[in-house]
Amino acid sequence: MTTGRDRLAGQQAELLTALLAGGPSPPGFDENRVHVERKLLRAKRRRVVGYLRPDLPEALGDRFAALFGAYADERPKFAGTRAREDADAFAAWLVERGELPKPRRWNPFRR
Amino acid sequence: MGAAGAAVGAAAAVADPFGALGVGIGWRPEIDLSISRLPGVDWVEVVAENLHVEHLPTSLLSLKDRGLPVLPHAVSLSLGGAEDLDTARVEHLAAVADALDAPLASDHVCFVRAGGLDAGHLIPLPRTREALDVLVDNVKLTQSILGVPFAAENIAAVLEWPDAELSEARFLAELTERTGCGLIIDVANLYANARNIGTDPEVFLDEIPLEKIAYVHVAGGVDRDGVYHDTHAHPVRPEVLELLAELRSRTEPPGVLLERDDDYPSDTELAGELAAIRAALAAGARP
Repeated sequence: MTTGRDRLAGQQAELLTALLAGGPSPPGFDENRVHVERKLLRAKRRRVVGYLRPDLPEALGDRFAALFGAYADERPKFAGTRAREDADAFAAWLVERGELPKPRRWNPFRR
Repeated sequence: MGAAGAAVGAAAAVADPFGALGVGIGWRPEIDLSISRLPGVDWVEVVAENLHVEHLPTSLLSLKDRGLPVLPHAVSLSLGGAEDLDTARVEHLAAVADALDAPLASDHVCFVRAGGLDAGHLIPLPRTREALDVLVDNVKLTQSILGVPFAAENIAAVLEWPDAELSEARFLAELTERTGCGLIIDVANLYANARNIGTDPEVFLDEIPLEKIAYVHVAGGVDRDGVYHDTHAHPVRPEVLELLAELRSRTEPPGVLLERDDDYPSDTELAGELAAIRAALAAGARP
């Protein structure tokens, strides 16, 4: 039997999928507002990442927002992911894509 | 404040859980020194998730030692979420409230996580009986874990669920009736909802249980994409201060708090916003 709580869980998951993971706007919602909320959540996530890893917006300059958007499209933030992990995952993604050089390990013997 | 002062505070908290706070400001590490210098700061609120109980910031502890109430405010409990409440987050809030000797702890009427995703932000609830039942259960569980009274805050919405069964104010009123929790009324969020989803602020203020208000939030925002955004990064609008005065004409809230989260202005500007809040309260208090 489906309880009210189960039904609500499904509706909330559907809305977050639309807002965070490219899902369609759920029935009955204003599509324009879903779009505005999507942008707002993306901008907030980007701001937090920029705050925790200021080296990334500094290195990317004007490209920061667009690259973060591409990253966020590929990787919605899953429950349980810490903001710091999200920021580091974006940095690793940038290296994988060749957008940033691989960070060099500090070597005490290198002259 | 010494041990005697803390004991007096604790006794007052039992007699009046939402005891008079005055005018305060949201404590953020970026403005901690400003806050300690600013005149007319009676108390502070701090985001619970940003604190580690073992390593509370020195500048925050020094405010507490000066006798300023420090109230934790959570943003990640997802109290309206249909999935099981993450009680570890509530336990953290309880531990922070305990470490700060806070008279009250709070979060929002919203959900944050669902379907394995984390919005990282406060998402509105459908205003249905089903959603209210879930919220009530989660708030009751939260209250059973916290050692202090709990208050829930109205959020700013840019989108609205279809098929609402209750007004936002009735939704909040029934939450307080069924759980005994207090309310934080954010007049900037009320302004946002008036602008974005057609809430009538006067009707809202008529319908909420004024005696359940623990304190009031005030913040700035900006118009973008044809929507009012509650950014906490822009000056407080006169319309928001008018709503504060309107609320004050109906009741004397125990506390009022200015929230600023980004694009921090000078001390002078922050002091000006606090003064504007006091002026709005004075204007609203006049018969």
